Amino acid sequence: MKMMNGNEAVARGAFEAGVKVAAGYPGTPSTEVMEYTHQRYPDIYCEWSTNEKVAVEVAIGASFAGYRSFALMKTVGLNVAADALCGAAGSQINGGLVLVVSDDVGRIAGGDYNDCRHFGNMFNIPVLEPSDSQDAKDFMVRAFEISEEYSTPVILKTTSVTCKTKSRVVIDEDYTYEARFRHTYPVSFSKVVMTTIMMKAKDSTHPKLTKYFNDFVENIDRLARDSNDSDLNKLELNGSKIGVITAGTPYYYVKEVLPEASVLKLGLIMPLPEKKIRALAEHVEALYVIEDGHDILEKNIKDLGVWVIGKELFPKFPHMTRFTPDVIEEKLVPDAPKRTPQKDVPFRLPISCAGCSHLFVAQTLKKHKIKAATDVTCGIIGCFPHMEAYSLEKCMGASIAMAHGYTIANENKEDFVAVIGDGGFWATGINGLMNLIYNNGQSTTIIVDNSCLAMTGGQNVPSSEFGFNYKPENKLDITKVCEAIGIKDIVTVDPHKVESLEAAILNAVNAKTNSVVIVQKPCVTRFKLPKDTPSYIDQDLCTQCRQCLHVGCLAIERKAGEGSHQIVINEDLCTGCRLCSTVCKQEAIQP
Amino acid sequence: MKSPDTGKNIIIAGVGGQGILLFSNILSQFYMNLGYELKISDVVGLGQRGGGVESHFRYSNKPVLSPFIKAGDVDYVISFEQTETLRFLHCLKADGVVLTSTYELTSSTVNTGLQKDLSESKTEIIKRSGKKVFAIDPTEHKSPDFDISKMMNVVMLGFYAQFRGYAHDDMTDIIKESVPKRFIEGNLKAYELGTTISDGNLVAE
Ligand code: SF4
Ligand code: SF4
Ligand code: SF4
Repeated sequence: MKMMNGNEAVARGAFEAGVKVAAGYPGTPSTEVMEYTHQRYPDIYCEWSTNEKVAVEVAIGASFAGYRSFALMKTVGLNVAADALCGAAGSQINGGLVLVVSDDVGRIAGGDYNDCRHFGNMFNIPVLEPSDSQDAKDFMVRAFEISEEYSTPVILKTTSVTCKTKSRVVIDEDYTYEARFRHTYPVSFSKVVMTTIMMKAKDSTHPKLTKYFNDFVENIDRLARDSNDSDLNKLELNGSKIGVITAGTPYYYVKEVLPEASVLKLGLIMPLPEKKIRALAEHVEALYVIEDGHDILEKNIKDLGVWVIGKELFPKFPHMTRFTPDVIEEKLVPDAPKRTPQKDVPFRLPISCAGCSHLFVAQTLKKHKIKAATDVTCGIIGCFPHMEAYSLEKCMGASIAMAHGYTIANENKEDFVAVIGDGGFWATGINGLMNLIYNNGQSTTIIVDNSCLAMTGGQNVPSSEFGFNYKPENKLDITKVCEAIGIKDIVTVDPHKVESLEAAILNAVNAKTNSVVIVQKPCVTRFKLPKDTPSYIDQDLCTQCRQCLHVGCLAIERKAGEGSHQIVINEDLCTGCRLCSTVCKQEAIQP
Repeated sequence: MKSPDTGKNIIIAGVGGQGILLFSNILSQFYMNLGYELKISDVVGLGQRGGGVESHFRYSNKPVLSPFIKAGDVDYVISFEQTETLRFLHCLKADGVVLTSTYELTSSTVNTGLQKDLSESKTEIIKRSGKKVFAIDPTEHKSPDFDISKMMNVVMLGFYAQFRGYAHDDMTDIIKESVPKRFIEGNLKAYELGTTISDGNLVAE
């Protein structure tokens, strides 16, 4: 028995399932799955791939070779990898193939209200959803069994709650690892191709043709039938007033708030156990569906012709980002006490670490009124209203191509640059850069190279000097790649040398040609860079103009003093980077 | 005779970098050793960057169901930052207890004038909440032996353990196992300080 969070439990499940290959791309809240797998189960080959699509393709290859493999990502990543998954859906599977995908439910700051179950519907593949860590471990093993038994990739869906909740897990202490091997099919084509061959040659007995036959429709139908008897779906018949169909952690909210209710806990959420659903529907007066994310179970159940109450009672995004026990109590428990939170407590916008190189870039662009696009890097914070440094932000890797589009449309009349992290650059940004050159684009790209994927806690990227499979001779060099792509102007600068940073950016922008400025400094936080003496604000000189606060550094605060306010620097947080001194006209900020 | 403790619901709150995870890990080991069932759910935003962090910590002699504690079911709010304390006051039971640091990390929205701060002192609002409140001001307890700005978590652990009447050896044994060797001494000093402040508070009460 061990306390584990969902991520640890999934990693343990992979181990007990005899997984051989794990490939993924970091994404909160499930990054840890790969980290635990790598740390604790050295028998399993692990890699951070360059992006999610690559990760899924690696896992498909390993599965075709006959070995159990999984790909890890958050749901926004599955959007990127969808094409690869689509190809695997409905095709022959040798070693079990599982995608561990996490929905970031309830995050208000993440621009992300995705639901990976859509891909289950779209591609007709099974989706499993654990409710706690024990489930997470067990379902991971079951996912591989289902994948092999029904010849299909399987999605194991976790959420920010299951990933980050610790509970007791019973593990097989005596388990000895063995890489599971199963090689059934000599060929695996994507569904569409296979269907074509099958339609033309279904009655053929020629071995060259029969080896393509894969009745994926029957496979998933068989799983749907079997799911009625599967212990993955638990029907708990209780009182007849309220019935609830639920999955994931909301199951436990329901058990706590509505102990009398009859509940169908779905572990296999796709395909649905029709008989169990009908049995519950007949048993109760009112049937509710309580699911985090989109109204997918609700729609699928209604498609079976069973009436359930869902989002009419529990309106979804943007009204609610996730279920809590409180939400259920408010709606379904008569006379539930009302509790009002303290009014007007200020909310928190994410803010950059003190001394972060992104702040230097943001400040320079702001000062010279150069507009910029960014992607999902720590630099994203530069878009928030307390900084207002960048004007366009979209998905991972997007900024180079967006700046290219803007500049083309604008005929390069306005200064508009791309800001991208090293992570985003390698993920898909590099495609944007190749595209820019080959289509004769003339814009500037600023690559903030902090030697890791900082936003998710500092995982390795191809240009890092560490990593699961790191070898110095295999380290990729951003400058060399940019040269090879054909960028005319490439300079590398240290952001803390403010003047050279400014000169480099202005030169690049003014040249009106394609150019790359590489801003190089390891992530202050990930690499625990040494600090300089903290700065302080001379209160006699400070006019409280707040300019320094708009720099966006975590260490600068406006504090209530005796009857008035002061702008102060938190000496425990300040790294002594001196960026704030460059904006203070009063020269009040001193080392 | 005191009736046996069947379990409690605790919200541990603060901002990124305050060691909430260490606090909850130590406490979790402690209650595990006592044979309790546990569920601990961490809500971490972009914690590294001054975001709010909350941990729902539940131990019980029966299996714990919901990973989130329902508003109104909270026995203790233990908070390392007082703006965060305010967010959870309404979740406390009528006889709930607040253990808060008076440290404050002004939110970026207030810093840059996007939002008005509360006009009243936050410490005062907390004290007026009608709950049993213990507020510790870290600036009053600076010590040459350890950096209280980094170890307020362990100070408050000492306070909590003393308040609950726990055996300190059991807790300090876990601390020794949980922190890097070179930090053990400082942490034990911080823990001890917590127990002393707690004593002072309890006598004064
Ligand atoms: S984690 Fe690193 S890159 Fe991200 S804001 Fe902090 S210092 Fe900057
Ligand atoms: S920029 Fe200078 S004068 Fe303005 S608030 Fe900051 S320290 Fe004070
Ligand atoms: S010198 Fe200024 S900008 Fe740099 S870390 Fe300190 S307070 Fe922040």
